[in-house]
Amino acid sequence: MTETPELDPVIHAQARLRVVSALSALRDDDKVTFPWLQESLGMTAGNLSVHLRKLEDAGYVEVTKTHQGRTPATLLRLTRRGRLAFEEYTAALRALLDPGASS
Amino acid sequence: MDPEDDQAPADPLALIERERANLVRQIAPDPRLMYWPWGFAWLIGFTLFFLRYGPDGRVYVDLPDWLPLVVLMLLFIAAGITTGFAGSRSVRRTSGPTSRAGRLYGISWSISFFSLSVLFGRIANDLSEAQAGLLWAGGMVALTGTLHMAGSAIWQDRQLFVLGAWTSLINILGIAAGPGWHSLIVAVGGGAGMIVAGFLGWRRLR
Repeated sequence: MTETPELDPVIHAQARLRVVSALSALRDDDKVTFPWLQESLGMTAGNLSVHLRKLEDAGYVEVTKTHQGRTPATLLRLTRRGRLAFEEYTAALRALLDPGASS
Repeated sequence: MDPEDDQAPADPLALIERERANLVRQIAPDPRLMYWPWGFAWLIGFTLFFLRYGPDGRVYVDLPDWLPLVVLMLLFIAAGITTGFAGSRSVRRTSGPTSRAGRLYGISWSISFFSLSVLFGRIANDLSEAQAGLLWAGGMVALTGTLHMAGSAIWQDRQLFVLGAWTSLINILGIAAGPGWHSLIVAVGGGAGMIVAGFLGWRRLR
């Protein structure tokens, strides 16, 4: 399959699609800590940080620095805009896969 | 662009489902750790009660009279520590409404069991041994069923509702059948119910 203009280029990169997909499994307003997202994805911390920054720049992911007790913690969630973009992306994918279903 | 970005749309959909399932598995407590310790505690503990304090005062196995209660309490403590540990570890992996709900739900179990213990401890002395045993076991099993059903509303988990309703039903049947029978019904029905729930929950996450 060649590149398709309807697919959001921010999400349509394997690493970022994986990050956004994982975060989409959280309920609205829930956040996951960085190490557990990292373990879930099996990515290196550096690689995950790079992609998170791109997603944050696009306004898709919210990064919160906080403390759990005395330990600093980084919490992550999809923004409303990120969730919407992910939903549109999956809808576009499904339409590409099965064009008859949407018409 | 990375070469791996170029892929057929059939793969992204599978990838999406895989990563969503991975994250849920990562943050949810292992259902086996949440249910099996309680399931086996009920199965073993209440079976000992049935064997020592059978229906109509029958003694099927002449165990020391303190043994069933001590074993049940030790198994409950072990189960409480296991689920408390597994649950709080899961709660700390996320932050937000679900994590807060998990913490409050866990505390609700502790407070409600403690308050029933205070009540039963106060009035059980005025009852016969068999009636006091039925009050303790029947009350605690009723509370367990209720909390499971309430939990199903919090977690939107139909399976948890079935477990709670099942636990409540066998408790009512056991209470109607009377002391001795209650222990047997709760041991087999309740214990097995939680072991099955742990297995189904684990299989669903796998």
